[in-house]
Amino acid sequence: MANLNVNSVTVIYKGNRIGIKDASFKAEEGEIVGFIGADGTGKSSLMHAISGIIKFKGEISFGKYVYHSPKEAEKVKKYIGFMPQGLGLILYDRLTVEEHLDFFANVRNIKMDKNFKTYKQKLLHMAGLSRFTEREAEHLSGGMRQKLSLICTLIHRPRLLLLDEPTTGVDPLSRLELWEILDNIRKEEGTIIIVSTAYMQEASKMDRLLLFDDNRIMASGTSKQLTDSVRNYVYKKTPCKDTDCLELHNVTYSLKPLNSEHKDPTLEDIFFINALKNRKKLTEISVSKRERRLEIPPIVMEAKGLTKKFGDFVADDKIDMELKRNEILGLFGANGAGKTTFIKMLLGLYPIDEGELTLLSQPIRSGRDRRKLKSKIGYVSQHFALYKNMSVRENLIYFASIHQIPASEALRRIERYGKELGFSDYLDAMPKDLPLGINQRFSIAAAIIHEPVVLFLDEPTSGIDVIARHQFWQLLKLLKEQWGISILITTHYMSEAEYCDRVVLLKEGKKIADDTVENFYKKHPEASNFEEIFLEYYREAN
Amino acid sequence: MIKVFLSIVTKELLDFLRSWGLVVLVLYSFTLDVYIAGGGMQIEPRNVSVGYVDYTGGGISQKILSHLHEPEFLTPKMFLSQRELSKAIFNKEIMVGIIFDQEFEKNYRNKKEATIDVLLDATAASQSFTTLSYLQNIVLNFSKLNIPIDIDIHKLFNPNSDEHSFMALSELLSVITMLSILLPAIVFVREKEEGTWDIMLLMPINPKITILAKSFSQVIIIVAGVMITVGLVLFNGFNLPMNGSFLAFLLLTFFYAFTSAGIGLFIASVSKSMMQTAQLSMLIMMPLIFLSGAWTPVYAMHPILEKLSLLSPLRYYIEGCESIFFRGTDFVDLWHYFAGVLILGSILYWYGFRKIGKLF
Ligand SMILES: Nc1ncnc2c1ncn2[C@@H]1O[C@H](COP(=O)(O)OP(=O)(O)OP(=O)(O)O)[C@@H](O)[C@H]1O
Ligand SMILES: [Mg+2]
Repeated sequence: MANLNVNSVTVIYKGNRIGIKDASFKAEEGEIVGFIGADGTGKSSLMHAISGIIKFKGEISFGKYVYHSPKEAEKVKKYIGFMPQGLGLILYDRLTVEEHLDFFANVRNIKMDKNFKTYKQKLLHMAGLSRFTEREAEHLSGGMRQKLSLICTLIHRPRLLLLDEPTTGVDPLSRLELWEILDNIRKEEGTIIIVSTAYMQEASKMDRLLLFDDNRIMASGTSKQLTDSVRNYVYKKTPCKDTDCLELHNVTYSLKPLNSEHKDPTLEDIFFINALKNRKKLTEISVSKRERRLEIPPIVMEAKGLTKKFGDFVADDKIDMELKRNEILGLFGANGAGKTTFIKMLLGLYPIDEGELTLLSQPIRSGRDRRKLKSKIGYVSQHFALYKNMSVRENLIYFASIHQIPASEALRRIERYGKELGFSDYLDAMPKDLPLGINQRFSIAAAIIHEPVVLFLDEPTSGIDVIARHQFWQLLKLLKEQWGISILITTHYMSEAEYCDRVVLLKEGKKIADDTVENFYKKHPEASNFEEIFLEYYREAN
Repeated sequence: MIKVFLSIVTKELLDFLRSWGLVVLVLYSFTLDVYIAGGGMQIEPRNVSVGYVDYTGGGISQKILSHLHEPEFLTPKMFLSQRELSKAIFNKEIMVGIIFDQEFEKNYRNKKEATIDVLLDATAASQSFTTLSYLQNIVLNFSKLNIPIDIDIHKLFNPNSDEHSFMALSELLSVITMLSILLPAIVFVREKEEGTWDIMLLMPINPKITILAKSFSQVIIIVAGVMITVGLVLFNGFNLPMNGSFLAFLLLTFFYAFTSAGIGLFIASVSKSMMQTAQLSMLIMMPLIFLSGAWTPVYAMHPILEKLSLLSPLRYYIEGCESIFFRGTDFVDLWHYFAGVLILGSILYWYGFRKIGKLF
């Protein structure tokens, strides 16, 4: 029996910053334990401690091994598989998919026998990478990288598997397959699996959940037990002005009983109720009108037959798309469907191989055509890249000055965005010290500092906690209302389709559907949420 | 446009100052590295154990040995035969063995070639080789003056300032070459590595301005570094003469930095990571420095290489600098060095500029 026993583990970082405090829990062979909680509440710290790569106080035992430090943990490392958070951090850009698997197998001293080959094929299939074994990691899409890291972690069949947000940026279909694999592994081999996730539908599949808040484990139980604990606070949407109340777009939370109908609680509700209980006021997001009035054409972007090829491989195949003024258009599709490639073509980061593109009524034929438009476009990439060596404020000042916004005006705008988007407290922090949710809002601020007409957002909500995501969408909605901005956004959270005016589905580089969300539901009356609709499209075409 | 240019320059300088690893590298290269190369810092021997065998019966030999004293040397220990001495060295009891053979004193007195055999424990390389140079100096002084001497050897051993300032200057010129290739390349490659490259491309600025501003910012760093070295290290540490115009030197440096920046841009356009940048820089820099005459004088090269060396901008830069510092050549007479640097520089910078511009 190899059980895991974590006994009052505390992690403290430099400068007395607490990672996780006094965490204790047990896990039995074959159990899947989920870590859920807002960003920066200590999930990753605890995973790092258990996998024996950082110093901690307290005691951890796995089977007959007991350890109190990374040094003592050396002897268990061969049983542990750990996949850190972040898109494909463990990968080597120049190695192909196949080379990665062989490399990690070699590192772990695995015999390359028939068994190994079958297992490898199975993993590749699960990750949807069977067709791409020859492709170098740097040419994989964000989600494909994530899946490759995952199967590299699984290759030595660890007995204790620690996965830190493994499904960030992974599409719904692959997520289902991933869970099947995990389920098999633990049944066949009794592996203990510890997973953190920001997808709450996923959390409900785990045997037990640990809820993190304030860098502690606040509660633990099955998904049902946890949701039941907040059942009394969740209502169907009712107006409520009290400070003990929180009103969102289709639900109301109240600590005091309300004279209104209850709603079935979900795991996501726990986060809001926790915030309410801790009196952590959600930052009020607001957006004021544009400082400069603008004439915006009714069609902001028009693509006709846009095609992108990498060698023989067609990443985007004759895609037609239209983005209207004042519209939020969701671009959905499995990993590698060609979403990022499409956006990069729109932006001119990849040359267009075939087709015609018109941006803001201006046909795009050369770099010069684009240069004039750059000041009207905002972009946030899949990795929120900003200048590391400059504080938030300095970054924003830099962007403003590049857009030739006068200094005094720039400073005023930065203050204003700081307040409106709720990152005033972080203006002098360095990007690496920011919680992910704040980082993302600040990336948006950088992308809108010049008050663009159109925004291209590539998975801006991946890896961000429930509340931050909610606030983010509130921000987008306000931008649309106040500025008449048009937004093209990609996401793997199917529930976010509800916020979009229109949704385009891509599959293997082809557009397979393009409609309003209402019409999607009309065409699929049996579906109870957008995830089901999405899966249906993907399955039916197979 | 000027404002945008300046904000990019400011941003790059800020970025540089906050990358402390890079700052340390640059400061080190411009100060200690040059200082050490110029011989300003010697590894002084300490408590070196010396053994000797004296077949001459004393006299000059003892005079020489008397100069090996503390704290550099332990009192020399006498051995009766060469065999015993070798054994002691082998057993690490003795680091340096000196053998005065029977002919030594006779030859010396007759002004013939007098030789001393020296055995060194080469595993303690630096100590024993420095000891060797001590010995050479001692012996040198004996043969020069040819009288029983009583001079402070250590003073005589002090750096001969001319030769050392020359070495320091050559090292400085190599440092300038290395950094002015590396820094501009790093500026661009860092954007690639940190994923900010796309953001840079999407800025509503003419790419030419971006490239120019970025390379200009690094040239500023180089010129600042050069001022530090020349002022602090060369003038103070090595008494480098300044016979020409300092302004001419700065101007030539400025143009030369742009020349190498061109190479840096080319490297940045083809490499994806810092590692590649570093490797490529080395690869390109070596022949450049070799052909320049910094290591072997140009006149001593194979005729083909000698012709090729005309293509190394560093050659004109080195010769120009030497003329300015040592010979004090007039500004107007420096024109062919300026022409060499400017012509090769324009070609290289134009090429690098085009190469990286294609990525925009
Ligand atoms: N430079 C490249 N060379 C070769 N193939 C590439 C290159 N860039 C992308 N691809 C391939 O193009 C396909 C589409 O990639 P893209 O990044 O657009 O997917 P995506 O829809 O954004 O996926 P994800 O949801 O995982 O981010 C993938 O199969 C990817 O491997
Ligand atoms: Mg993508």
